Amino acid sequence: MAERAFNIRRLPGVATLAIGCFVILYIPMVILVGNSFNAGKVIGHWEGVSLHWYVAALHNEAFLAAAQTSLLLATLAALIATITATMAALATTRAADFRGQGAIHLIVNQPLMVPEIVLAIALLIILAQVKQATGYTGLGYLIAAHTTFCIPFAYMPIRARLEGMDLSLETAAADLYASRFYTFRRVTLPLLAPGILAGFMLAFVVSLDDVVMSDFLKSPGQETLPTYLMGELRRNLTSEIYAISSLLLLISVLIVAGSWAATRKKA
Amino acid sequence: MLDIRDLTKQFGKGDSAVTALHQVSLSIAEGEFFTLLGPSGCGKTTLLRLIAGFEPPSGGALVLDGKDIALMPPNQRPVNTVFQSYALFPHMTVAQNVGFALEAQGRPKAEVARVVEKMLALVQMTHLRDRKSAALSGGQQQRVALARALAPQPRILLLDEPLSALDMKLRKEMQVELKRLQQETGLTFIFVTHDQEEALTMSDRIAVMNGGRLQQIASPRELYDLPENRFVASFIGESNFLMAQKLAGMIEIEGSKTALPSGFAAAYDGPVIVMIRPEHVVLGQGPSDAIRLTAQVERLVYFGTDTHIHMRLRDGTPLVARVQNALRGGAIAKVGDSVPVAFPQDALRLLPDTEA
Ligand SMILES: Nc1ncnc2c1ncn2[C@@H]1O[C@H](COP(=O)(O)OP(=O)(O)O)[C@@H](O)[C@H]1O
Ligand SMILES: [Mg+2]
Repeated sequence: MAERAFNIRRLPGVATLAIGCFVILYIPMVILVGNSFNAGKVIGHWEGVSLHWYVAALHNEAFLAAAQTSLLLATLAALIATITATMAALATTRAADFRGQGAIHLIVNQPLMVPEIVLAIALLIILAQVKQATGYTGLGYLIAAHTTFCIPFAYMPIRARLEGMDLSLETAAADLYASRFYTFRRVTLPLLAPGILAGFMLAFVVSLDDVVMSDFLKSPGQETLPTYLMGELRRNLTSEIYAISSLLLLISVLIVAGSWAATRKKA
Repeated sequence: MLDIRDLTKQFGKGDSAVTALHQVSLSIAEGEFFTLLGPSGCGKTTLLRLIAGFEPPSGGALVLDGKDIALMPPNQRPVNTVFQSYALFPHMTVAQNVGFALEAQGRPKAEVARVVEKMLALVQMTHLRDRKSAALSGGQQQRVALARALAPQPRILLLDEPLSALDMKLRKEMQVELKRLQQETGLTFIFVTHDQEEALTMSDRIAVMNGGRLQQIASPRELYDLPENRFVASFIGESNFLMAQKLAGMIEIEGSKTALPSGFAAAYDGPVIVMIRPEHVVLGQGPSDAIRLTAQVERLVYFGTDTHIHMRLRDGTPLVARVQNALRGGAIAKVGDSVPVAFPQDALRLLPDTEA
């Protein structure tokens, strides 16, 4: 009897497990989005389709303020993280080997390894002192904190793109009278752009979604979308929460889809 | 115009150091089609990279038009490269690739456009000027790479095995094309290949390299007729190597003697290696000044225009003769026959008895 090649799909139970995972992952989201269109006030009690809760959300000052904070925070943190990650990736792949190259790689990726709550507690202790000393209670702390854990997410696609890039292209540019800066601008950067875009979007979503760090480090009166939602959950449970969650989900999905399209198109 | 003096390149340090070039010295003249020929790993690419400026030399001088450029950065050298992998910019069109160098030099737009058109016409790629370079066939990429390197009018064009990725037919076409381009532009070419036939058909002069050392620099004809050592003799064309004794102006192989061929008046007497090309081995008596021996036929290989007769001398030395096939000839020899063979005196080459 000829032996059949190993095929993971033929293992008993794999299909069941996969379907189970999908159900657990997506059914609650479908229910959540469905409920956001519920005309009734009481959760779980269906009274017909309506955009009522979306309208309510868009007139909710607290929600709008939180959304604004979140978008600003995510944009700035992702921007700084992407710039830092791009430089780190260039330094670890393009410069001649130097001492401590491995260390840079490790430091950049460290936030992926350290439990977020540990980092949050550590920052909380330090930043409490700083806040007291300086009196500054603005968004800066959150931007700094979000930037740290966004860097590895921005770094991964950028570095992958750089490693896949043919080094002889930069050599060719130098051969053709291009200065280092001209080479970077005309050759390296355009080829790296899809990776940078993907890195930025990944970082943006990760920041937008963060609860632990934001909840620990926000100053009084500051709310991001996730911390606002947490607070609302405890206070008044209306279908408006579903509408807001659906909006958040929509933004994330759009951005992930955009980043996927960006990396696919030019790759 | 380009003088390379004692150029040495070492990679790595200490025990793991690799010396890719050992004191290479050569001079290249204006307008020459100069070829670096040698087996893979002999240092051809390394020498080219040193000339282009991608690597600093470990020692020696690189003098272009009277100026030492050994440490000049690549973007300041009037030297351009056609890379083995072409290295076209995938996000640019054919025309943008060709215009890259001129734009990097900050030439005016009108001039860039004019030169690009001229170069595209030269390599017959005008119709594909707006195609992305990633969407080209191998032969087309080759042409674009050539046009891109020619556009800024370098003093020297370096070509690193530019034809090795092409199939046989395209390769022959591009050989002709390249030679035409070189003659039309009058540019100096330094061409790298490991293919001896390619080197022989295209070059004005060839430098044969092995193990990071120059073996011989000569015209194709000289290289074939008068190889200076055993490596060159066996790398270029086919050769028979025979053990011989040199004594008092005579040369003796298995008891048969002839006068030393002219130009080989080596000082010492003793054992030497004699080389003879298969097409010069005569089956039969040969001219009166020939060395005459007997050989046993082992194998006949038919090649259409000629037949290779593989034989063995009495002492076991293998010997190949190449005999032209007559229009209506019968068998030249039969396997197992003992046949007389002759080596005409002027076909014999004495080689120094070193290395294999
Ligand atoms: N960057 C490098 N580091 C270490 N060794 C190298 C490097 N480049 C080339 N070499 C070595 O130098 C020798 C010559 O290589 P190369 O010039 O590429 O040969 P060729 O082009 O004739 O095939 C080889 O032994 C190769 O391994
Ligand atoms: Mg090579």
